[in-house]
Amino acid sequence: MKFFRFLRPLLLAIVIVLCFAPRAWAFCGFYVAKADTKLYNKASQVVIARNGDRTVLTMANDFQGEVKDFAMVVPVPTVLQKEQVRVTEPKIIERLDAFSAPRLVEYFDSDPCAPLYEYDRPLALPAPAASNESAGARGRDASLGVTVEARFNVGEYDIVILSAKESGGLETWLQRNGYKIPRGAKQLLKPYVRSSMKFFVAKVNLDKFEKSGYQFLRPLQISYQSPRFMLPIRLGMINATTEQDLIVYILSAEGQAEITNYRTVKIPSDANIPVFVKNEFGEFYKSMFQTVYTKEDKKVGFLEYAWDMSNCDPCSADPLTPEELKQAGVFWLDDNSPNNVTVPPNFRRPLPRSDVFISRLHVRYTRDKFPEDLIFQQTGNRESFQGRYVLQHPFQGELKCQAGREYKRSLPKRFEQEAQTLAKLTNWNIQDIRNKMKLSLSNLRLSWWENFLSWFGLY
Amino acid sequence: MLLKDIRDYQILFLASFLVLGIGTRDWTLRPELIAVAIATSLSTQLVLSLILGRWSFGNNKAQSLNLRSALITSLGLSLLLRADHWTTMAIAVASAIASKFIFRVGEKHFFNPGNFGIICALIFTGDAWVSPGQWGEEWWYGLVFAGTGGMVLQRIGRWDTTAAFLGAYSLLEAIRNLWLGWTWDVYWHRLMSGSLLLFALFMITDPRSMPNSRIGRVIWAMCIAGLTFILRNYFFLSTAVFWALFILAPLTILIDFLWSAPRFSWQRGDEETREYTEVRTEASFDGNFRGNSKEEFFPSAPGASSVQ
Repeated sequence: MKFFRFLRPLLLAIVIVLCFAPRAWAFCGFYVAKADTKLYNKASQVVIARNGDRTVLTMANDFQGEVKDFAMVVPVPTVLQKEQVRVTEPKIIERLDAFSAPRLVEYFDSDPCAPLYEYDRPLALPAPAASNESAGARGRDASLGVTVEARFNVGEYDIVILSAKESGGLETWLQRNGYKIPRGAKQLLKPYVRSSMKFFVAKVNLDKFEKSGYQFLRPLQISYQSPRFMLPIRLGMINATTEQDLIVYILSAEGQAEITNYRTVKIPSDANIPVFVKNEFGEFYKSMFQTVYTKEDKKVGFLEYAWDMSNCDPCSADPLTPEELKQAGVFWLDDNSPNNVTVPPNFRRPLPRSDVFISRLHVRYTRDKFPEDLIFQQTGNRESFQGRYVLQHPFQGELKCQAGREYKRSLPKRFEQEAQTLAKLTNWNIQDIRNKMKLSLSNLRLSWWENFLSWFGLY
Repeated sequence: MLLKDIRDYQILFLASFLVLGIGTRDWTLRPELIAVAIATSLSTQLVLSLILGRWSFGNNKAQSLNLRSALITSLGLSLLLRADHWTTMAIAVASAIASKFIFRVGEKHFFNPGNFGIICALIFTGDAWVSPGQWGEEWWYGLVFAGTGGMVLQRIGRWDTTAAFLGAYSLLEAIRNLWLGWTWDVYWHRLMSGSLLLFALFMITDPRSMPNSRIGRVIWAMCIAGLTFILRNYFFLSTAVFWALFILAPLTILIDFLWSAPRFSWQRGDEETREYTEVRTEASFDGNFRGNSKEEFFPSAPGASSVQ
């Protein structure tokens, strides 16, 4: 009888271990599609690479109107010299976008009647880094003006760095010099003037632009050193009538970055959704984002991706090469000597990892819910997160065995669960979802007499 | 006896905030870290009390283990501090408890233990952080905090510290808002931070590590508010409020020297407000003042109080 005293706790222990043990095969699925920024009407994209107090900020330029009407005014913490301003290729932002976008993955159910050798397909291995070249552009230096701290030309842009004593004067100066800034800017410029921030003002040099042969305006990249880790968004809201999307890619040496003056919420992830979404992933993601955005009362920022940049699982794009990372603004990769890298004192053995961690934050803002500029902080959080949506394709072949019939019977329940998940995520009409599912999986539903027979255990 | 000691209420509130946080707010709260925090705090408190209790002579009062205070510290740290590894949380909690025994002047520890633990973790480990934005600004959070915090404070009469801190800080932020020229919604947004309110209601009000006299507390709270304002707006620290409390903690000693008053005790209640908490069940008021201990009814001289 002594044996049985140990049996119960032992059984309990076994049950506990089995319930909480990680999945033996952590295969993340085959990559299908991604939801990148092309989905959004007018999404601004900004890349911020930060280490310590040094920041490299890259602003994508998606201006659609007449090039001669373009003017950009950005408050910056310090005066920038021409060495601190560059023009980069839009491709690098596209690469970051593709790498970090929420992704759709698929699994294929194996034949329930066949003997069990699953997972003989190759795992999605992280792609090895390939070599690449980068390009830069330099401009000539010229300086004029009363409160003009610097004036130079970089690529197709004419850049002026201003400091102002008074916002009205600044507005007048800008208008007089041909910068088309919107009305009402004076009120919004005042806080920045009073905080002793400088103004980075860019206009397109039409001659240089025509000579360059580019169709679109290229992103501007500025580097500066300042304890401020913020993104001024209020100026962009001046005459905005609708919600505006902003995607911020924060590249950090420490770990995840988050917003400190608004909540940062992770988007819903790891959801099983019906197979027909394969053709509608963009629509799905837009609806899902709008739904969760509304549910959170439109006043939070969303984390869509947080990962070490040396790998991905599953990969929606190849990881960026060191050259590409440098193009994106990462400046600390070369400084691997102990003097330059401020390694925080650590009691644990350092785990092998790269020095670049990306956080993709998606903020949809309006004037009433986002009164303050965004302030960020880096944390030591190296937990990985990604927006991942799962399609599970049912087995479509002949099902002749008992296990096969059971499998077929379990499918309607699973489909219903997937439909409910989709309806909850996107707020789509559940009946429409069910109809679309019927169309895509019509041959898998049991006919009425099969259903009837199964009740008697005859099928 | 549960819910007789005022600290039981605090434990209840902090625990329900944690549950609320886990249940609704999508934080990076990890239950195993909370377990580590609680275990570390209780064991550290136990060990240090026993060791130091054996060393102290002439102190023949019954040494209570004060596990409740340790539990409050660990719950507070679980709410505010985030870490990647459990060792970070353990270090934070252990240093928090140890600071009560190490940094003392006379009989009083002058560092707020939770605050000390947070600062230690931020300085000495690479993966600790505080998320000021985790709570969000919904008004009802503010009300919940204010309501429950007020209840706690009402019982021990330290609302003056919270009022002084919040009042001074709000005033400074308002002046700055006017100077900068932002609209007032920016101002309210800056103030409706759940972390700030949590700090003001639960952290700065630890009665055992703040100045004893009312005037001292008010001055001390206003100094902390001023330093927080400077650190947040001119040094751009998101964790300004914790650093401010940490830096100004030793000021408690100076203020106690300048304005002396009896020290707060969990068992006795506050001398000034004459509110007594019920720790034991009804003492026998049979006219002979035969309570459980004479010290219950005859307050001793300022400065002499039980070890915490």
